Amino acid sequence: MKDLLRLRTSLSEEIEALLNEQIKTEAYSSAVYLAMSAWCNRNGFDNSSKYLEKQSYEEREHMMKLFRFVNDMGGHAISPEITNIPQEFESFKSVFEIALQQEISVTAQFNRMADRCFKAKDFMTFQFIQWFLKEQIEEEYVARRVLELFEVIGEEGTGRWEIDKHIPKVHYDGDSEE
Amino acid sequence: MQTKTPQHLIEIFKTQQGAVYQCNSKNAFCLEFGNSRSFFKISDFLNFTKKINNIDVAEMAKNTSRHADIAIVMPHYTERCFVLTITDIIALREILNGAKFMLQLNSILRECMTSLA
Repeated sequence: MKDLLRLRTSLSEEIEALLNEQIKTEAYSSAVYLAMSAWCNRNGFDNSSKYLEKQSYEEREHMMKLFRFVNDMGGHAISPEITNIPQEFESFKSVFEIALQQEISVTAQFNRMADRCFKAKDFMTFQFIQWFLKEQIEEEYVARRVLELFEVIGEEGTGRWEIDKHIPKVHYDGDSEE
Repeated sequence: MQTKTPQHLIEIFKTQQGAVYQCNSKNAFCLEFGNSRSFFKISDFLNFTKKINNIDVAEMAKNTSRHADIAIVMPHYTERCFVLTITDIIALREILNGAKFMLQLNSILRECMTSLA
């Protein structure tokens, strides 16, 4: 008998649901970064505002990469509904603490997905998400380094102004030695 | 009244209340339920199954208002409107989930056959 399920898509129902969940997470991250950017702008942290806007754009790119993959595999990519975006933050430092937390939870989600793909023997999706796992090394590294600036420079006096100045300069060059 | 099933339809799963058939020429599924047939594209069939599974039967049973006794489901791209009682929902779930299971089993068997070939 013809296998109509397989003709429709190469993705199993479970993996398709996981990918759609990830699309939603990336969209949420993008929206939170944008809210953070606005908060920084309102509070005079211009460089951080621009940095977070760029991060927001990157998260959206990640979302679109996943979205296109689901479509390309014949699945049903769902345009996510995003609500409950925090608009206010306790302090300049808390913005970056939340950013790191968000990145950690994204990494955990991708790890879970890799595990499920492996168990389901879906090696196409497994290979596809390798890019994201590698990207998470950079995302977490940068988020941690930014947060460390608060300890290294200190927030007293012109500290926050100095931190804001240094944030866009933080970058990951882990691959450069390879 | 049981209608005669056309020969090009392959039976996937059948109960006393209805059945799901596969139509290889149209790459579609045919649901026979309540003395009529509806055709679904593959993804629409899966969405319809999800919709039926998501109906809160316990809430329908608990709710004493008159309108809570029935659920109205209008699947996309069909002209049919399903007006379902709790017993209809349970019967329909059995047919749809049974069919889905058989389809998944068919996929697994085909994959095994390919790896053995």
